[in-house]
Amino acid sequence: MKVPVPLRIFALTVATTAFYTLVGQLVPQKEVQPPKETVLKKDMTPDELLKAGREVMEGKGLCFTCHTVGKSGALRFPDLDGIGARAGSRVPGLSDVDYMAQSIYEPGAFIVPGFNPGMPTINKPPIGLTDQEILAVIATLQSMGGKVTVTLDSKVWPLGAGAAASAGAPAGPKS
Amino acid sequence: MNTRRLALGSAVLVVLALLATVGLIRHVMSLEYRAPYRSDAPQTTPRADAVKDAAEAQAKADREKPYVEETYRRFPVVGSRVAVWVLAQLHLLFAAFVLAVPIFALIIEFIGWWNRDPRYDRLAHEFTKLLSVSFSLTATFGAFLLFMLVVLYPKFMNYLTHVFSPTFAPYVLLFFFEAFFLYTYYYGWGKFHPVVHLLLGLGLNLVGTAIMLIANAWLTFMTTPAGVSESGAVISTWQAVHNYTWMPINIHRLIANVAFGGSIAAAYAAYKFLGAETDEERAHYDWMGYVGNFIAICAFLPLPFAGYYLASEIYAYSQTLGLTMMGGAFSWLFIIQAVLIGSLFLGANYYLWLGMGRVDASARFQGYIKYLLILVAVCFGVWATPRSIMATVSETRAMGGASHPQLGYLGVMSAKNTAVNILILTTYVSFLLYRRSARTPTVSWARLGNRLQTLIALGAGGVVIFLGVYGYFVEAKVRIGLSIPQVGSVLFAMIAVTAIDVLMYRNAKSLGETHWGRIHPASQYVLIFLAVTFTWLMGLMGYVRSGLRQHWHVYGVIRDTSVDAFTPTLGFATKVVSATVLCFFLLIGFVFWLASLSDHKSSGHGEAS
Repeated sequence: MKVPVPLRIFALTVATTAFYTLVGQLVPQKEVQPPKETVLKKDMTPDELLKAGREVMEGKGLCFTCHTVGKSGALRFPDLDGIGARAGSRVPGLSDVDYMAQSIYEPGAFIVPGFNPGMPTINKPPIGLTDQEILAVIATLQSMGGKVTVTLDSKVWPLGAGAAASAGAPAGPKS
Repeated sequence: MNTRRLALGSAVLVVLALLATVGLIRHVMSLEYRAPYRSDAPQTTPRADAVKDAAEAQAKADREKPYVEETYRRFPVVGSRVAVWVLAQLHLLFAAFVLAVPIFALIIEFIGWWNRDPRYDRLAHEFTKLLSVSFSLTATFGAFLLFMLVVLYPKFMNYLTHVFSPTFAPYVLLFFFEAFFLYTYYYGWGKFHPVVHLLLGLGLNLVGTAIMLIANAWLTFMTTPAGVSESGAVISTWQAVHNYTWMPINIHRLIANVAFGGSIAAAYAAYKFLGAETDEERAHYDWMGYVGNFIAICAFLPLPFAGYYLASEIYAYSQTLGLTMMGGAFSWLFIIQAVLIGSLFLGANYYLWLGMGRVDASARFQGYIKYLLILVAVCFGVWATPRSIMATVSETRAMGGASHPQLGYLGVMSAKNTAVNILILTTYVSFLLYRRSARTPTVSWARLGNRLQTLIALGAGGVVIFLGVYGYFVEAKVRIGLSIPQVGSVLFAMIAVTAIDVLMYRNAKSLGETHWGRIHPASQYVLIFLAVTFTWLMGLMGYVRSGLRQHWHVYGVIRDTSVDAFTPTLGFATKVVSATVLCFFLLIGFVFWLASLSDHKSSGHGEAS
């Protein structure tokens, strides 16, 4: 039986489309929800604050879209492992908290050598973290190899307002 | 006396009779049925009171109802996003076709006029025949899309109107001119002086491109907004138009439209070829399919470069946006894209190789095909290799991470850029072999020319591979910049080799005939496969361009707070793309059928006369 040409063309169209649809089903399936707000309370324990900071970094802050933790090699953006230890020595005159706050509020001010500028201003849309969320993030970053001194009561921005927060963390040798 | 008494008595009698009649009538009327007497006082019951209170409360609520601007409305069953998605994609597919066909129809018509060759004029006319119904469908889907957007996303559309209202009137005016030029170009075929007709075609192309530029401004603004304050107030409409991705999208779409339009026109030719009853018809439609496919592939080759320009502008606007696209939620989409583009390259090369069958002296080049096929397959494999693999915990442990210890190296951009550049070079070589198959050069420097061409092609391939490998050993800042010399070397090779070839094959000796129509029917199904793949690819890339904004209507300015604010799985997205592609092919099949009807009518008239 000879199959009419239009029917063959239709079958080919459906088969091709079905093949690409199948390819689409074979790749990992992930539904990305809009970021949820992390609840921050003044009476949080340090551990709760660090956990909340991590949640913000993974969710609304989108930090891990670009940054890695514990990876080396030809990275596109600086790895965050040990950031708490080296932050105080990145920029002469800036404590660890100052450096982290500047990186978040004014990311173009200092670019880690070997990398291109690319960090967005985190307290403005589309990310738009609140000051409180940023404090939680800084506390979490401090915990990566350093001592956590930031609380939700700290004032870290503009620079100079955070003397109390950074007092507990000596700036260390400047590179 | 008696007479007076009689008169007086009569008058009295008349009066009495009159009074009696009136009395009688009143009496009769008093006997008429009357409803029994009921009290006028309202008969209240608890239910009646409640109904009355409810009515009064409703009336009061109606009077005092405040006006609240709706943010979203819901489309039944599939939801608002999918409804708008399918409509927008169908509108764009038809619009792409309507914008693309006049570009190459005009060029083919010009070639025919310049060379005094009526075959080209007929071919251009045949391409244009597909336009009028497609134009109506474009406009219909455009209007449908607009209504759906206004109904389903009123607040967002209000904002877009706030930013772009100055562009609306020019858009409508240009659409009017588009209709004018399109219909005079099509219906005026053979009725105007050729130069006037060519100018009409030029006008059609200019107006069509201008329409595309305006529409592109709206959609690119949504992804990379500019010219507005942090709260979204307009500072400069021109800046909003001329945002980061406007020009890259203009270039990318223009080229992609031509590739897509060429492939659809080639599919039409394949449809006609397969149904042809005479050798003459087969020869004509084989040639038409070849030309359509040639246009599609020529436009397709520089497309990755235009895509690179677009992606680099997205990164320049926002690294976060760029990384969401290439390394985040959409990274696996580019593996699907690799399968599609690999299929396109394989199909395009296969068609060229099958096409050698219509050339008498092509056997001398057919030995090269297996090497080209190996190259295409290897590059396809590299491009489709993902960086990270979905694996079980034990598999991940065995690999030492989410990436395969060896294959993982093929998943990064250095490998993929290298693969796509080699794919382009290979396809170009396939075309070059096909072009040469029936001829041999007669110029004295032919041997030198051949060696020079080989040296340039191998040199470009060497540069591409060297830079690809070098990319693994340098920091990100340097590696990103390596794509440009890779692309540049391939472009240089294609331009230089073509220039040498054109000069070398001037007055070339013919080794045999090209028998149009003498080709395996499988080639025609390849053309249809390519058209479906191009369409599917457009649907997929349309999704990533739009979906990249994720939970934003206008990135960083107007947030999507609807129930559809989430980014769906790629599996769901591919189903929507497939549904759209099938709808498109059903509709374009209708266009093909209508175009064929006019053929029957023409031939019928021919026979009658």
